[in-house]
Formats: sequence, structure tokens, C-alpha cells
Amino acid sequence: MSTIEHTSAERRRDYERSRARRSAASRTDRRGTRTARDGREASAMPPERKKIRFSLLSIGKGLDVPFVLIILALLVIGLTMMFSASYPVAYYEMGDSYYYLKRQIIFAVIGLAVMIAVSYIDYHYYHRFSALILGVSYFALVLVLILPAQEGGVHRWIGIGDIFGIQASEISKFAIILFLAHWGSRYYDRMDTFKYGILPAGAVLASTAFLLLLEPHYSCIVIISILTVIMLFVSGIKLKWLIIGGIALVGIILVLWMTGLLTYAMERMDGWGQALVYKDNDQWQQTWQTRNSLYAIGSGGLFGLGLGQSRQKYLYLPEPQNDFVFAIVCEELGLIGAALILLIFALLVWRGVVISLRARDRFGKLLGIGLISHIGLQVILNILVITDWLPNTGISLPFFSYGGSSLLTLMFEMGVILSVSRTSNVEKS
Amino acid sequence: MGANQRLRKRTVWLLVIILALGFGAVITRLGYLQLVQGEELQRRAVEQQLSDTPISAKRGTIYDTNGKVLAQSASVWRVVMAPAYFDNDEQRQFVAKRLAEILDLNEAELLEDTKQNTYYVSVKRKIESEEKEEIIKLQKEISEKYNKTAIISLLDDYKRYYPYSDLASSVIGFTGMDDQGLSGVEYQYNGELTGTPGRIVTAQNGIQTEMPFDYNQNIDAIDGNSLVLTIDETVQSIVEKHMKQGIIDNDVHERGVCIIMDVNTGEIKAMATVNGFDLNNPYTISEEQQKEIDEIDNEYLIEHDYTEDPSKLSKDERNKLIEQAKAEAESAALSKNWRNKAVSDTYYPGSVFKMVTLSMALQEGAVDEDSSFFCGGSYSIYNDEINCTGNHGTQTYQQALWNSCNPAFIQIGQAVGAENFWNYYQAFGFSEKTGIDLPGESADQFFKYEGIEDNMGPVDLAVASFGQNFAITPIQMITAACAVTNGGYLVQPHVVKQILDKDGNVVKNISTEPKRQVISSEVSKEMCELLEENVIDYGGKNGYVAGYRIGGKTGTSEKLIDVNGDGVDDYIASFCGIAPANNPQYACLVFFDAPLAGNYYGSQVSAPVFASIMSEVLPYLNVVAQYNDDELSKIDTTTGAYTGMSVDDATNTANADGFNVTVKGEGSKVLAQNPPTGASIPMGGTVVLYTDEASSTEKVTVPSFADYSVSDANYIAAEAGVNVSLTGQVTSADSKAISQSIPEGTEVAPGTVVVVTFSTEGVHD
Repeated sequence: MSTIEHTSAERRRDYERSRARRSAASRTDRRGTRTARDGREASAMPPERKKIRFSLLSIGKGLDVPFVLIILALLVIGLTMMFSASYPVAYYEMGDSYYYLKRQIIFAVIGLAVMIAVSYIDYHYYHRFSALILGVSYFALVLVLILPAQEGGVHRWIGIGDIFGIQASEISKFAIILFLAHWGSRYYDRMDTFKYGILPAGAVLASTAFLLLLEPHYSCIVIISILTVIMLFVSGIKLKWLIIGGIALVGIILVLWMTGLLTYAMERMDGWGQALVYKDNDQWQQTWQTRNSLYAIGSGGLFGLGLGQSRQKYLYLPEPQNDFVFAIVCEELGLIGAALILLIFALLVWRGVVISLRARDRFGKLLGIGLISHIGLQVILNILVITDWLPNTGISLPFFSYGGSSLLTLMFEMGVILSVSRTSNVEKS
Repeated sequence: MGANQRLRKRTVWLLVIILALGFGAVITRLGYLQLVQGEELQRRAVEQQLSDTPISAKRGTIYDTNGKVLAQSASVWRVVMAPAYFDNDEQRQFVAKRLAEILDLNEAELLEDTKQNTYYVSVKRKIESEEKEEIIKLQKEISEKYNKTAIISLLDDYKRYYPYSDLASSVIGFTGMDDQGLSGVEYQYNGELTGTPGRIVTAQNGIQTEMPFDYNQNIDAIDGNSLVLTIDETVQSIVEKHMKQGIIDNDVHERGVCIIMDVNTGEIKAMATVNGFDLNNPYTISEEQQKEIDEIDNEYLIEHDYTEDPSKLSKDERNKLIEQAKAEAESAALSKNWRNKAVSDTYYPGSVFKMVTLSMALQEGAVDEDSSFFCGGSYSIYNDEINCTGNHGTQTYQQALWNSCNPAFIQIGQAVGAENFWNYYQAFGFSEKTGIDLPGESADQFFKYEGIEDNMGPVDLAVASFGQNFAITPIQMITAACAVTNGGYLVQPHVVKQILDKDGNVVKNISTEPKRQVISSEVSKEMCELLEENVIDYGGKNGYVAGYRIGGKTGTSEKLIDVNGDGVDDYIASFCGIAPANNPQYACLVFFDAPLAGNYYGSQVSAPVFASIMSEVLPYLNVVAQYNDDELSKIDTTTGAYTGMSVDDATNTANADGFNVTVKGEGSKVLAQNPPTGASIPMGGTVVLYTDEASSTEKVTVPSFADYSVSDANYIAAEAGVNVSLTGQVTSADSKAISQSIPEGTEVAPGTVVVVTFSTEGVHD
């Protein structure tokens, strides 16, 4: 059975299943519009195979407007805050206060274009190419190991000249989400078995993690591990595997702790959790960035020092435009500003989940959930890093942190979710 | 459950986990950091963001009692450099070279400094205005040449100046590099003098340059308070002049001390430890001290236990040891210079203490008119034989004091008893520090404090009665002498009279109350009379000052230490006196530690210096002179202005003023006179009037007055054609001239005044 054949078969099943559910829903739903649309959609579809209605010239049609608005809001706020955080370093180090802003605006504009463009691409193509994209991911992961190392001796970036570079792990994250969505929708009825539910995902995770270990890029291992667990959980694996996995993790941590390796590892992790306590010069130097991040966050208080009024960005907090941009946000906008921004992120996640759950097929659902979980996870982990609850390992904040390739990747992923939204059964405006 | 239902359910769970757990944790963490820890984190952030440049506060001035400046801070500058602004080595070399030229610094070291990547290197401190002008020129040069303005800057600083350099050096004290008092009043009142430094608070970024914030806060410095001392510069100068002479005349090895104190208020009018040191250069030792250090050799190493046999050491080791010994000797010399002997050193008071012993005996009624004390030249107590300077026979207690008779005082001490002696010792303030407002005051060393009956044996009491074998400070001795003579009150000695704020308003007047009455005013009055008698007719004769009613007591105490290594233990010669004896106002203690010139008795060494000091100080302090007839005949009178008069008029006027007249020249008008107008010469002295130019070139030769009596000296002076002004002990029949102000053989104009000092043999006590 060819992949395509299987896919169409699966789609058909998906379609029928969702149709059955929806008609059940529409029967109980008191809202006339939904029922009416359901009827319209149903009538527009051929009975055998779902025809997704794409409207090329009308963005509004089919595109989830709240999701787009949330993205635009985050993009504008993110750009503003990144600019505010970066202009002293840009001035002192680059001689141009607008250095980072100019570039990030270009990336944002390109990113928006990419997002819109991607939203037109029928996401089912990814279904077909998931194995290929996973292959590209492995290729990229091997390639970075061969390419010369970057600052700090890590192999993370694939450069195209000096102008543009992309982290291999960005491809991997997308590839794994895509693969698991693909696998989870294809073998949805066998996900509760070990062979289909755990083994393939475990193999992909283990091999990718191994390659990432060589880079090294620990934070990405953490992210893809959590993403894998999320995808498997949602795909319907038996909960006992999660429990077994959890017990195994606790067991490993206990063993590490008993042998003293954990403490050693924690000490090695750039003085994690120790940023405010002076131990020795090395530790003090290592925790400089985290400590100044805490100073910035703490200085903000409830209401913040005011937009543009951060002091910590004046060469105290290194690279405030990157991973630690949110520390400056906290300093300038205070707890209230930070909470509002987090609320917008939460809305994004919520809306993403809503879109995904209403997706027409299982693949769309899983893909959307995976991608939106990735964003949420990235936000949570980033803030835990800048508040010294996680080691300082390089997790950027979506829409805020400076960086062309990560912003483009992000906007691409948003485009994919929007593409899902075009087909999903949700109020779009 | 269908796959889709499970998916939906699990997704909702996932959403809950992400939003509630994940975002919840994040918000909680942020809330904790921003609200709970916020204040502390912000404080730490601000700490690193603000650069705090201190502005020096001007240190207060120290005035003498009449407002003369003894110590003052003046503006100087500190040169600092910000080498991070240099672009290349050419700039560095240029600046290093120019700075080295201007500030007299090592160019190579400066070049090293210019290579640091910082914004603050202190180049030189306390530069004065000439150098400052040069630095300003250099700043212009740099700015023209390299278009850089911030490389060199000048910061305000202050430097301490002491106009009288070594005057009262151990009392005033000096300050360190950071303007902090290190000794004397400068140390004791550092808090008052220092003031509050101001601050310029500016926001700075991570590389210590200014932030574009409006965050400049200037807190002005508050200048320190000024002090008005009780010390009188004139009195202090007189004291130091005579003390220095006394040290030279008597070859004093361990410096001398003189304190003049107001007996009723405890104000210290003068306190000198001579020789002192130059307050402007406190780390410079005297030439003699340097010479001694330079002479350190192998012998010295053996003597001072550096090594047993220098020849066994290698040359390098030996040189190293010598260097070490020199360094140690230098620091020992410095701390010796700085030490205020008047409050920090203890000594056996010797016979001066007899005034205290007698006071307690009189107060306790242990002796009276009927008491008699026998002296057979020595006194045996247990196995100890205590010698006396004479064989005084049977004496009253008055005679015992005048003879300074040790056996008699042993008996007086016994009459007082150990317990009473100890009680009075405490009452006179010997067992506690006086609490004078100067640093480094030492405590006494008495036999044993607790259980006086058991620990102060009969021998101890015997020697203590005449001031031996227990050690007190000079300031304790003079304070007790004040109590003996001022009506019995133990006063609080102090050197600071007033504290003024920076505008000269009085912040605080320091007046002290007497601590207690130790003896009755009757006993005190009797003691004054006895002490005056002692100066008029007995052991204290050399302390006599014509025209003043002086009371005093000499003292010669055994140090029981051989300071110069000649095999003989050395002495401390002291004299403690008061004036006027009928109504005491001032007490003066003169004290020479280890006079080696031959004389070592207080009466020979210290009493004449006391007299010289008091003869100048008492008139200055407006103590009214009370001459007797004999003194009146010898009293100095001020010469009038005779120049410009006719010879006859001038002669008549001068005669009327009480002078003899010698006219030189053929003219009819007086063109010049010698001594000049306003000079002090004795009544009956000769005024020479010149009537023409030629006669004014005539010279006479100063004769030697050495060892002549007062009347002989007058005769010799008249013969030689000079005037004499007589000082010292001039009323005693056995007075002999001991020094003269113009050496024998000097050619001078006729009528020139030669000051001749007289002294008697004195008693050996």
C-alpha cells in the first residue's frame, strides 16, 4: 500500500468520523450559523473525498482572524520591546542604535509574507513529505557537526555566507512535530501499542537527541523530548507508558543524585540557581548574565520603570536583544506588563489549540497542537531561564528575541497553523 | 472512547497543563522576583548602576586660644587618568612623558598605567597650583593634538598645612593621605574635624561611562568643624624655645616635656614634647636620627640581637639584615618622634611628689607643728638603706620639704599609713587616666592595686613617700600639683576650648568641672606658702622669677635605666611650680629625661628653664608682677625716645627715666640712641646718645659674665659700656651667671643689652 493510497484512505476515515461527530454536534448546537455552515461545507464537499476550499485572493476567507491579530499584536510588541532592549548595545557595539531593529523589521516583514504564503499551502503536502523533512533534519544535524564550530565551540548553525544562518535544531523541531503528527494520524488506531505508539517516536527522539548531544544543544533536547511526550500523549498512547517513562526519569535522576553526578552537573550548568550568591570569581563571571537578568526583573516591580527606561540594558545585561529580552520587558513594563504579554501568549496558545481541535482531520489536529505547544513551551522555558529556574542554555522567546532564522521559522510555523485554520471548523472572525 | 474524543480530551488536559502549570509557574516566579525580591534586586541593580564620586569635605581648622591658625586645609588637586580613551601607543607615550615631566614621576611606570583599559587611574595626589596649571596646559595640548578631553582630569582635594611646623607637634598631630587624623588633636577630634563628604551620584553603564539618564544627584560636602585649643601659641613658642635650649645645654638624651596648665580650669596653655617633629613632614626624621641609622653596622646587629655572628652570614644576608635593622630603626625613630611624652610616658615623679605626700599628711593631721623628723644622712628599713642628699638632723615638716629630705618623708609616709596613702593616691587621680582629650594616654604603674595592705609593703610605702618606684605620667603629676595648690580641687586637664562650625559659630564650649576636692583649702594654702618659701630660700631657688611669687618643688628621679650605655643609670630632672603663690593661676612642669651633660638634679637642669619660661610667660599672661625693694632696684625699665631732642633735653629725660647717659660725638642734637626706643634694661643702665655720624661707628667688646655674681655682673657691664638685663635666680646671695645672650668677645655698639642668666648651685634632691 502506497503512502498516498493509505493517506487517502485515512483521510476518508478521518472525514467520515469528523462528519459523524460534527453532525452530532450540529444537532445539539443551538447556534444556527454553525449548523448552516456545516450544511454548506457538507454540500460543497464531494462525498468521497474532502475538497478543501482555498481562496487564493481573499485572505479573510478561511484564515483565522483572531489568531492573525494575536500574532500581529505579539509581533508589534515584540519588535518594540526588542528595539527598546537592544538600542544601547546596538549603539555601543554596532555604532547604530537601530542596528537590530532595522534587521528585525526586515525579517518580520519577510516573515509575515512567509506566513501568509505558507497559509495558502495545503498542509496535507507536509503529510507526504514528513519522512523527507525528517531526513533533511538528520542531514542538517550531521552537516553542522562537519561545519566549523561557532563561538563557544558549539556546532549549531548552518550558514549561508555571513548573511543568513539557520540552526539545524529549528529544522529538527519542526521535523519531529511533523513526523509525529504524520505517524499519529496514520496509525491512530495502533497508537496504544508499543510497536506503533512508542517505538518509532522513541527511535526518532533518541537518534535526534544523540545528534544534538554532539552539537551540543541540551535545551533543544529538552524541548524535543517534551514535544515528543506531548505529541504521543495527544496521539493516544497508553498512559502507562507515560507513567513508566516518568518513573524511569525519576529513577535516572535519583541515581544521578545518589552518585553525586547531579550536583556536579548542576554546578557545571553555569552556576544554575546560584546567580545572586558570590562563590568565586569564575562562578560570578558565569552567572553575570543571569544575575543581571534578575536585577532587571526585580527592578521592574509591579509597574516597571517605564518604556525605554531600563537601566540594565546599558551594557549590564549582555545581549539583551536575544534570549534575555523579556528581562528588560519586566524591568520596563513591570509585573503588569509582563503578565499582559503572557496573557497574549496564552491567548495565542488557546486559539491555536481551538484551531487545531477543529481541524478537519487528525493530521491537522496533531500538527497544530504540536506547533502551538512548541510556542507555549518555548515561552515558558525562556522565562524560567531568565528567572534562573532553569540553566542558561539558549532558549529564545518567540516574537521577541532577535534573530532572523528563528523568526522566519516561527512565522512559517504560524503559517502552517493558519493553513490548518483555513480548513478548520471555527468561527474565523 | 474514540480516538478523536481521546485526542480532544487529552488536548484539553494539555492546554490546562501548559496554561495553568506552565504559565502559572512563570507568573508566580515573576511575581516573586518583582514583588517579594524586587526591592533587594533593585537595590543591587542600582548599586552597580550608580557611580558614586565622593567630594572631599574640607577639614576644620585648628586655632590656638587667640585664633591663630595652627592647622589648616588648603585646596590641592588630584590628577586622574582615563587610559581607556587612548587610541594608540603614540598618544600613550606622549601623555606618559609629559606627565612624568610635570609631576616628577617615573615615565616607565606611567606608561604601564596608560595601558590599562580602565577609566580611573590615580596619577598623583595633592598637587599644588603650579603643577595644576601645567596639567591644565597639558589637557589643552591633548585636546588640540588628539581631540580628546577626558584623558586627564583634576579632582579637588585638600592638603593640611601647619604654619608653625614643629610647634606643639605632639599635641596638634598630623593627618594621613586620606585626610584622617593620625595623632594628637587631629586624631582625637577627627570626627569633629572631618565633616561629611559629599557625593556626586551619576548613572553609569556597564563600561563605567555615563548613561543618557537624567540621574545626577549632587550632595554637597559639609565642611568639618574647627577647634579652638586652650594652647596659646605665644606661650607654647616661649616654652619650646627654652626647652630646646635646655636640651642642648644639658645634652638631654630622651627629650623633654613642659606643660603649663591653668590650675583652676585645667586648660592646658602649653604642652611641649621637645624636640618634636615637623607636622608638615611627619615622616621625616631628624638629621641626628638619620645619622644614627646610617651608622648601623655589624656591631649594631650583634647588640640588637639580629644575629650572633655577622661574619658567618653571606654578604647578601648581612646586607639584608642591615636593611631590616635600618628600616626598624627608622620606624622606631618615627614613633618616638610622634609620641606625646607628656601623656604617653610614665616616670617616677621623685621629690616633686613630696608636695603630694605632705598634703595628705597635713590633711589627715598625721603631722603638725610639734612633729619632728630626724635625718642622719640615711634611713634603714628592713635590709634596705635609703640615702639622703644631706645630713639634715632634726626637722619640722616644713624643713623636711625644703630640704627635700628622704628619711623625713619616709617618716611622714609612715605617719600617713599605707591605706591612707593609697586612698590619697587615688583621690589625687594617679590611679586613673586624667582623661585629657589627647590620644595615647598611659595609665600609672603602682605597686599593686588590690589588697593594698598586703601588697604595698613598708619598703614600698617608704620609697613611694618620696616619689620613687611607682610610675605616673607628667600630666597626672601636674594635675595633682594643681590640686595641691588651687584649694584642693582635682581639675580636668584639656586642650580643646571650643568647637566652631564652618562659619565660625560656636557649636560647643568645653568647660570642665573639677572632679573632686582632695584636700582642704587651708591645707592647700599652707602648701602654697611652703612651696613659695622653698623657691625663695631653699631647694627651689633656681625656679625664682623676679617680680613673681613662685612656688615650686624640684625633683630628681632615678630612671633605673642606663640610656647611653655609659654604665651609670640615668635620671629625670624635673621642676613643678606655680604662680602666683598667693593666688595660684598657672602651674608649670618642666621635665628633662636623661640629661647627660653632668648636671642631672632638677634644681640644676629644670628649675632654671622653668624660671626662663615663666619670666616670659607670666607677663604675657598678664599675671601682675609684685616686686620687692631689692627686685625693684634690678627691674628692667623701658627706654624712651630720645632721638631728635637736644643733648640737654635728652639727658634730662633719660635721667628722669632712671638711666645714666653717655653722650658720644660733638653735635648738639641726638641723632641716634642705643639701646633703641622700647628696649628693656635695668634701672640705672646706660643709654648712649649719638650726636654725630662719626661717633656711631664706635664699638665695644662684650665681656664674659661667667660665674660672676649679680653685682659683679653689673659692674663688669658698666666697665665694658654695655647694658645687662638680669634673669634667673638673681636675688640669692650665691647666684652665679650661667649664660649670656651675646657671646664674650662680640663687637657691639655701646649700650647694647646683654641678657645674663643667673642660677644657684641648688639642692641635690
